[in-house]
Amino acid sequence: MNQEKVNCKSVMHHICESLGEDLQSEKCISIKEHLDNCPDCKSYFRSVEKTIDFYKKYNADMPEGAHVRLMSVLKLESIRK
Amino acid sequence: MQNFFCTDMPPNLKLIISNKNFIKFVETNNKLLHQMDEEKMIELAKAGNRKALSDLVRNYEKTVYNFAFKICRNQDKAENTMQETFLSMIKSLHQFDGNSKLSTWLYRIVANHCLMGYRKRKHKFVELDNDDAVVEDKYIADWDTLPFKSLENAELKKILDEAIKKLSPDYRIVFMLRDVEGLSTEETGKITELSVPAVKSRLHRARAFLRKEIDGALRK
Repeated sequence: MNQEKVNCKSVMHHICESLGEDLQSEKCISIKEHLDNCPDCKSYFRSVEKTIDFYKKYNADMPEGAHVRLMSVLKLESIRK
Repeated sequence: MQNFFCTDMPPNLKLIISNKNFIKFVETNNKLLHQMDEEKMIELAKAGNRKALSDLVRNYEKTVYNFAFKICRNQDKAENTMQETFLSMIKSLHQFDGNSKLSTWLYRIVANHCLMGYRKRKHKFVELDNDDAVVEDKYIADWDTLPFKSLENAELKKILDEAIKKLSPDYRIVFMLRDVEGLSTEETGKITELSVPAVKSRLHRARAFLRKEIDGALRK
């Protein structure tokens, strides 16, 4: 995870939303207090963000010829752009 | 526009503010124009205009291929899914009522096609019906200290492929729609026909499972 991209509030929002909790709820506030003081949890959430980032960036270009084959299957090959 | 400015504001700052507002104005207009164009294209395509249909396919082929690849993790299957998705789109376009975005409708077709394929093959995936499969006793996952490879690295791609292939498509689709494609929890729920709490639960388990798998592979 890139520290510039994700701040504590967005992480908290993620966690509390997953729990169905409001950011100001007692449970959410106690989680925040724990996170502020727990380096293991902090690094865990950084690695979760990194995981998401990896899959976001892992794209595949359409293979050569795929567009032509698609238009042919759809019988649209004669239609010009 | 003049109302934004204080009388003693330096001219350069006024220019920056007016430029920013202008850019925002242009962006909003472009978005509206795109929506109007698409609505018009859909109406024309429904009426049998093949040029409009061809334009719709061109506009979405990369999005559909990429999403299919992210679910299937295989180029041939992704291409086949893309073709099946657009065949379904053409067949059912008259049923598209415009209440959702066309992209949401296409995501749903891709997801259904992939799920059907996996069900036919009766492939076994890791069970994530409870948290036991993803909960770790100790989080010592300080990835900042690991020598990270770039995504160009084939070894890292293999790790990502192997991790996601173990994940059941039901979970994989939720993770891809919500986290990777950036759809809202509600949109993800509509596409997958899951309740909002069910989307959140699957998302949490999918994220934790993938993180655990990648962590294990990187530490080998």
